[in-house]
Amino acid sequence: MTEIALEVKKLDFYYSGEVHALKNINLPVYKNTVTALIGPSGCGKTTLLRCFNRMHDLYPGNRYNGEIIFKGKNILSKDIDLIDLRSRIGMVFQKPTPFPMSIFDNIAYGLKLRGIKGRTELSERVEKALRHAALWDEVKDKLNESAYALSGGQQQRLVIARALAVEPEVLLFDEPTSALDPISTAKIEELAVRLKEDVTVIIVTHNMQQAARISDWTGFLMLGELIEFDKTDKIFTNPSQKLTEDYITGRFG
Amino acid sequence: MPLLFKKNPVDIFFSVITALAALSVVVFIAGILYILIRESSLSIERFGVFNFIFSTDWDPVRESFGAATNLFGTAVTTFLSLLFAIPVAVGIAIFVTEIAPNFLKGPIGVAIELLAAIPSIIYGMWGLFTLAPIMSEYIEPALQASLGKVPVLGILFEGTPMGIDLLTASVILSIMIIPFTASISRDAFNLTPAVVKESAYALGATRWEVVKNVVIPYSRLGIFGGVVLSLGRALGETMAVAFVLGNNHQITSSLLDAAATITVTLANEFTEADTDLYLSSLFYLALILFVLSFITLAIAKIFLLRAERRS
Amino acid sequence: MDIVRKRKIESFVALTLSTLAAMSGLFWLVFILGDVLIHGIGALNLGLFLEDPAPPGIEGGGLRNAFVGQLLITLCATIIGVPLGVLGGTFLAEYARGRKIARIISILSDIMVSVPSIVVGTFIYAVLVKPLGHFNGWAGAVALAIIMVPVVLRTTEDMLTLVPWTLREAAFALGAPYYKVIIQVVYRGAAAGILTGILLSIARVAGETAPLLFTSFNNSFFSVNMNEPISSLTVTIFQYAMGPYDSWHAQAWAASLIITIFILMLTIAGRLIIRWRYGKR
Repeated sequence: MTEIALEVKKLDFYYSGEVHALKNINLPVYKNTVTALIGPSGCGKTTLLRCFNRMHDLYPGNRYNGEIIFKGKNILSKDIDLIDLRSRIGMVFQKPTPFPMSIFDNIAYGLKLRGIKGRTELSERVEKALRHAALWDEVKDKLNESAYALSGGQQQRLVIARALAVEPEVLLFDEPTSALDPISTAKIEELAVRLKEDVTVIIVTHNMQQAARISDWTGFLMLGELIEFDKTDKIFTNPSQKLTEDYITGRFG
Repeated sequence: MPLLFKKNPVDIFFSVITALAALSVVVFIAGILYILIRESSLSIERFGVFNFIFSTDWDPVRESFGAATNLFGTAVTTFLSLLFAIPVAVGIAIFVTEIAPNFLKGPIGVAIELLAAIPSIIYGMWGLFTLAPIMSEYIEPALQASLGKVPVLGILFEGTPMGIDLLTASVILSIMIIPFTASISRDAFNLTPAVVKESAYALGATRWEVVKNVVIPYSRLGIFGGVVLSLGRALGETMAVAFVLGNNHQITSSLLDAAATITVTLANEFTEADTDLYLSSLFYLALILFVLSFITLAIAKIFLLRAERRS
Repeated sequence: MDIVRKRKIESFVALTLSTLAAMSGLFWLVFILGDVLIHGIGALNLGLFLEDPAPPGIEGGGLRNAFVGQLLITLCATIIGVPLGVLGGTFLAEYARGRKIARIISILSDIMVSVPSIVVGTFIYAVLVKPLGHFNGWAGAVALAIIMVPVVLRTTEDMLTLVPWTLREAAFALGAPYYKVIIQVVYRGAAAGILTGILLSIARVAGETAPLLFTSFNNSFFSVNMNEPISSLTVTIFQYAMGPYDSWHAQAWAASLIITIFILMLTIAGRLIIRWRYGKR
């Protein structure tokens, strides 16, 4: 019934030095849903997330085996254009990462990279992205100020707006609220849920309540293996694996 | 809080000894300033400040002295050497931090450190016996044949290429300051958080775009500090230029002419100064150099401290 | 797609230029070191170390006076400069830790490290040469010591700061007075780093020429009397290189080779100690 946006097939991942970080991962990511990846620290959830936009390629010696199918193509294959891939699959990091430029230029950055130069088109799309990220009202009068002047929560929404501006199909969140206060966290969570109308969201979190609150699907990883993948309701109420149950009831982790 | 432990008499003694040792640095700086002012007072009284700085005279026979020719040489060699060195140094920093595979980072880093450790007199030797002939036989004639033909710009390359001139001195000076600028730029680049770079990559930026739009803007305070520090170093460098500048007190339009810097004048003439006024004028030059480089270095330090604090 | 292609080409060009810049850095190093090696080795012989200079224009002779003079000046500079630097660094990192005075002296030292060395030479000339009426070895040693102090002081400060405060607290808890804690615990913890700082500061001053030109000056005869003008390798190199004789040039190259090897070995030794003690960085 729902379309698959990304499909992970028999994925193995090795960090340089042959550290086997992901072992035979199989999992579908459904379109216009929020998929959460949970598990104890060091379980490989962030590693898996960074496979989707080939972030691991930035560091020499890392190696993938298996496939991730996106739009009918294996994005792990050598001939994939990473620049194109990364403008279709955006990412938001743990800590806010504004660039050393104005608020406007931060949002416009990705657009400019794609060759959009017209001042009016840039302004329109910057406004759209900022509205999308629920930040417009707070920053519309200071678009030319440094992005560092914003609060942590605002910076994180700015970064989300920056990722949204290039209209990606998938958005990856790597523990996006771990550095934020509860109010900012709530805003980001609300945003993530609303975003799934337009994009497919994959979120890594170590906060199980957060996964339960916002995701439709949840994958539980441990020691580099995907222990269980199912609808979030099912995982949190009636997991089929003992390990999953132990983790979500707080027996370890 | 450490003061609490000073009750022991040996501790008081030891703390006073260490304090005196630390204060020696202040004493050196204050001493240099005081002595240089005292020794140059004769020349200051005779020539004043503005007259001395703007006078192109340097005539030991008539005992008429001015700093302008020396300042000219110092300014030109410093400016040109920075012009040559900065692009190369920033390129090295980009290579080491963003491009080099891990197995190359170490060796290149060591090479930069070694280049910085070679004493300036070795650069001077090499410049006199190896670089100067290459400059006069190949590079300078080639420059005359190409850029020398361009109107206006050609003025810079007039004269007979001898290899003992402003251009050669600037090239050597630039090779000398490349390692400083490169290693400070590298340290500044390394202050850019990896995650900020990653998020630019995650937007689909190329490696160069990440460097140009994120790393360099992020580290501009540090790079600027590094450049100013190199400027301070270049101002005061003596031996690397003393061999190949010719010590000729003139303001020239051509880079292929011999000239003099403050340091070269001091190195060549200090032990030959036969009158009090001559010696005093040399001290005056040293005073100007000390004040100039102290201010420059202080500015560099301020920028580097701010760069450090921001990250 | 066209724009992506353009961006990739731009990136390729810029990165290639950076790589070339790095290679050119290596190129100069190889060029200069190779040149010094080739010219220097040809002029090396035992007589260089064992004989004193021949009269100007006459072939033969050596630079025994300059080797001995250089060693003597550097040694005296080290004896004066290192204790001052280490003790001063101790004050900044221990007794004055976190206080404004420590910060000011620290910044002044950083500036002093880069102050033109020829200025230090003129200063010492006015203080230790002019009043005595003649150049002397002590003046050269003091000039070099002044250059050493800020280098040693700053490394000592940094290395002592790296020693965890809890280590000191543990020693205080045993009832030790502060000076004992510093000497027996802190110095021991930072010894490798301080040693590196000392080695690098020696490497720094061993190649200095400008501050010796008007202090220790030069002496074509063998002398170990620090109260008299004394020869040094660096000043000799300057004098010989600017001189008219080929035999002088050859000896200047040989001296350059020796001094370069000495300094590079000190620098590498310093790096190795740091790597061995603090792990690779």
